[in-house]
Amino acid sequence: MSVEQLIPIIIAIPLVVGIINGIYGRNLSKKIAGSIATIAVFTSFFLALTVFFQLDQSVRINLFTIMKLENFSLNAGLLVDNLSIWMVLIITGVGALIHLFSMGYMSHDEGYYKFFTYLNLFIFAMLILVLGSNYFMLFFGWEGVGICSYLLIGFHYSDAQKGMLNGLAARKAFIMNRVGDLGLLIGLFLILAHFGTLEYTELYKKVIADSIPLNAPFIVGITICLFIGATGKSAQIPLFTWLPDAMAGPTPVSALIHAATMVTAGIFLVVRSNFMFDYAPITQDIMLYIGLATSIVAAFIAMRQNDIKKVLAYSTVSQLGLLFVALGMGAYTAAMFHVTTHAFFKALLFLGSGSVIHAMSDEQDIRKMGGLKKYIPTTHLTFLIGTLAISGFPLLSGFYSKDEILGHAFEHSPMIYFILMLSVTMTALYMFRMYFIVFHGKFRGTHDQEHHLHESPKNMTIPLVILAVLSVFGGILNLPGIFLKKGTHWMSNFFAHNTNGIKVVHEHMESGTTLALMVIAVLVCLGALAVSYFVYVKKSNLPVEDKDLKGWEKVSANKLYFDEIYNFLFVRPIEWLSIKGHQFIELFILNGIVNVSTKSIELTGNLVKKMQTGKTDWYILWMVFGIVGFVIYYLLKF
Amino acid sequence: MEILLIPCLFALIALVVPSNFMRQFSLVGSLVSLAAACIRVSSFNSTKFEAITSEHVTNFGLTFKMGYDGMSLFMIILTNVITFLILLSNYNRELSSNRTFTSLVFFMQAALLGVFASFDGLLFYIFWELTLIPVFLIALWFGAPGNKAALMKFFIYTFVGSLAMLLSLFAIKSSAASFSHADLMAVELTAKSAYWIFGGFFIAFAIKIPLFPFHMWQPDTYTTSPMAGTMLLSALMLKMALYGMIRWMIPLAPEALAEMTYPVVLLGIIGVVYAGVLAIKQNDIKRLFAFASISHVGLIAAGAVLINHDNWTAVFIQMGNHSLVAVGLFLAADIIEQRSGKRTLSDLGGIAKVAPRFAFMFGALVLASISVPLSSGFIGEFLLLKGVFSYNWMIGVIAGTTLIVGAVYTLRAYQLSMYGAPKPAPFADLRPNEWLAFLIIMLLIVSFGVFPQSIINFVGPSVNNLIESINNTLVK
Repeated sequence: MSVEQLIPIIIAIPLVVGIINGIYGRNLSKKIAGSIATIAVFTSFFLALTVFFQLDQSVRINLFTIMKLENFSLNAGLLVDNLSIWMVLIITGVGALIHLFSMGYMSHDEGYYKFFTYLNLFIFAMLILVLGSNYFMLFFGWEGVGICSYLLIGFHYSDAQKGMLNGLAARKAFIMNRVGDLGLLIGLFLILAHFGTLEYTELYKKVIADSIPLNAPFIVGITICLFIGATGKSAQIPLFTWLPDAMAGPTPVSALIHAATMVTAGIFLVVRSNFMFDYAPITQDIMLYIGLATSIVAAFIAMRQNDIKKVLAYSTVSQLGLLFVALGMGAYTAAMFHVTTHAFFKALLFLGSGSVIHAMSDEQDIRKMGGLKKYIPTTHLTFLIGTLAISGFPLLSGFYSKDEILGHAFEHSPMIYFILMLSVTMTALYMFRMYFIVFHGKFRGTHDQEHHLHESPKNMTIPLVILAVLSVFGGILNLPGIFLKKGTHWMSNFFAHNTNGIKVVHEHMESGTTLALMVIAVLVCLGALAVSYFVYVKKSNLPVEDKDLKGWEKVSANKLYFDEIYNFLFVRPIEWLSIKGHQFIELFILNGIVNVSTKSIELTGNLVKKMQTGKTDWYILWMVFGIVGFVIYYLLKF
Repeated sequence: MEILLIPCLFALIALVVPSNFMRQFSLVGSLVSLAAACIRVSSFNSTKFEAITSEHVTNFGLTFKMGYDGMSLFMIILTNVITFLILLSNYNRELSSNRTFTSLVFFMQAALLGVFASFDGLLFYIFWELTLIPVFLIALWFGAPGNKAALMKFFIYTFVGSLAMLLSLFAIKSSAASFSHADLMAVELTAKSAYWIFGGFFIAFAIKIPLFPFHMWQPDTYTTSPMAGTMLLSALMLKMALYGMIRWMIPLAPEALAEMTYPVVLLGIIGVVYAGVLAIKQNDIKRLFAFASISHVGLIAAGAVLINHDNWTAVFIQMGNHSLVAVGLFLAADIIEQRSGKRTLSDLGGIAKVAPRFAFMFGALVLASISVPLSSGFIGEFLLLKGVFSYNWMIGVIAGTTLIVGAVYTLRAYQLSMYGAPKPAPFADLRPNEWLAFLIIMLLIVSFGVFPQSIINFVGPSVNNLIESINNTLVK
């Protein structure tokens, strides 16, 4: 089948199966409900693979016209090029593995079919997001994944203790995302106002044809708005605090939505719009510094978190910051490379943590774990691989992708490189800290938990193993050109082939410098490993209770007080306005005016009533007053 | 003419039907009206005006000119669909077998249809005032006890507004041949008289919608009326005003538009933000939805004065969306109130677990009301915000905050009532008629969300015709 036929099928399968599960899922056995959902995503993945192999130029498919108005029209169109098909492979590939994992992880949950319905709908919305041929379709998918994320974070809403809290986390995520969405929407309006179209290809032609001066106000406005959208979905400062809270959702959700796919939508948006960002160096700089700040802040917070998922969540925020640094430097292919490897190892780590939580009977506090190495060997091994990969251990995927970004940073400015290295060092430190605390030392949980400790079933460990393999070898996708002559930079060339605006950007450093940077990276990773081993295994220092923390540790454990600050700056004032506005403006002023006018009518009525005495002499008196009044009026007038 | 006569007929028959057949009778009645309107659609040419009365001019200028173009027919269909949905939602309520109540609903429907089909100013006014009677009586006789004060406020408010409109009508008639729409439009006004005429209409419409700060009657009336009354008010009655802005206020006094657009847009958007912020901390779920309604229609009103093809079609899309969502949300609020006996959010919670079907439908509606993709609100809000944004980007950005604030209050209401551990008191899940009503609402919302072009094709040509004739009068 041709690409034109395959792509709509790839999108439709998860949607159709999601709807089937949503309607009939209640009557299906768990096995069938989970299986059809998983098979659906696998099918989409394999179909996407066939598209991947036969795609040699970008293909635009027009499904139907959503609306045609006087000033513009919106089409439900799809654009398949190397960028979008690559995203499809990540989404469906990692997505399928996570579906498989969920079949085991959620097996005791009563909302089983609902969970898979939401997951499938998420895949559908995400595919629309990346495959749409215009910004309207992107916005459609963008909002769609937001809804699915909301539903899945608050999945356990009727839990007696945590139900309302889960709901609150979901709401927070949705609302903060909406703040970003507003930015994106305004960006769309600006694009429409200036270029009259939202179609990527037409827009690209127009942008290239118009000789836009660098930093022209409107292009800066557009790109800033798009970037605001990206900060919401990709959890950057100032809109990042929802992501750690989003960990209230079931762990596979955290892996799929809040690590591997949805949060990279912001990266995708910027890469997709790269041809506009090139004209707005100001926005690129803003992006760079926001990314840098996010990366370092999140890494710092992750240093002293004790919830296994919170550590990973902050790690995700930090890695996304790193990605925005890459985008800010125009290193789009490097960013996409890291998106890919990050999807592998972060999904692996999250699923691994899910497997740990599953084994620990829903315990998430790493202080209550310890020594899990011998109880859950497969999880341990794969988790170790994930930890090594994210820390940049030599020859693992994270090593290559992170190195490329660091290389660009060094070339851009040594200062930025230095700050990034700080964040990278912290990443290695907190990851190894967590690894050693969870898997080494003595078991510190309750007796009950120890009794229940078990390795997860096959359908949970197989995805772990596959993701571990990918995390190890993912680096092959874009090998640096320093050791090899051939087969390098495959991915950069791949995206440069037929994606609008993407060019191959190589670093122009001498191989000596590159080598030196590599050695530094390796040393940092190994150093962090050694330090962590020494502190947490040899001396078996354990994290102390929250109240005993001092100095920077307390600040880190309290997340730099971001939530408190936001509460003080935004939540409380708005709630205050809402209450006081109701009391004061609504009830006092507006209602007051109404009451005063009714009262005054009543008073006038009472006054006039008094004149109706029914006595003729009084009426004659009023008449005389009237005549006298008229006479005086006319006398004064002339 | 049968479009109008059928509901009148059913309103009369309803008074003598035995009360144990009343429920079935009311559904049949509303379906017959709907069918009659659909028959009209099948032979409808969206570029033409179709008259349903023969024209004859009385000596004071009343022409009895009635008919429909795309915009009118859209509103007629909407009225009939919503009436059916209201009666369907009401099917298992006590009121459904009440003769007077059913008769009043049909009476209301007939008056509304008259409003949308009138192409004569005086006739429009008469039908406009006529709608007040049934909805007032429904709220008075079947509403919460002790709601007289709220209703008096409502009545006086709207009555004063209508009076202003009547004065405007007479003022413009004084230089026109008759009250017919075309004759009134042809009148050339000086800028000053145009303001007065525009202003008179605006006060009537602003109170009915209601726009900030004319909304003081609305929250109390919405919360103390019976479910059907609230639905009639929010889903249909306020649409008369939005429709009236497009059909009467702007075409009759377009000369005032240059000066008046800004204040009207501003009032609309202030309402969007103000009511939205107030809704955040409301504890009474009906009151919360009442404020939400003010917030949503503020944006539509702003779109209605930004005269161009795109904005006006968006107004119609969003009117349809708002009507459907309003019926759904007030049905949900009523279900909660009926079954748990409470309306305060702080006393609710845990319903989702015991009533999953209700939780699903209510949840889907909540999502539709915050304009998620696949819902007609997504399209309507996108277009309206775009319209406001291209008129004035700063106001557009402020209006855009409805995206955020709307999510805050709607999701809060949903979560506080539905999430958490179930309460010990029983809560029955949806009855078949409620389920069906929700289902129809959802299907309509989704189909317009995916194929908004169907509405655009339906109302687009007549929107164009109207704008063209407005421009013609302005050029002259």
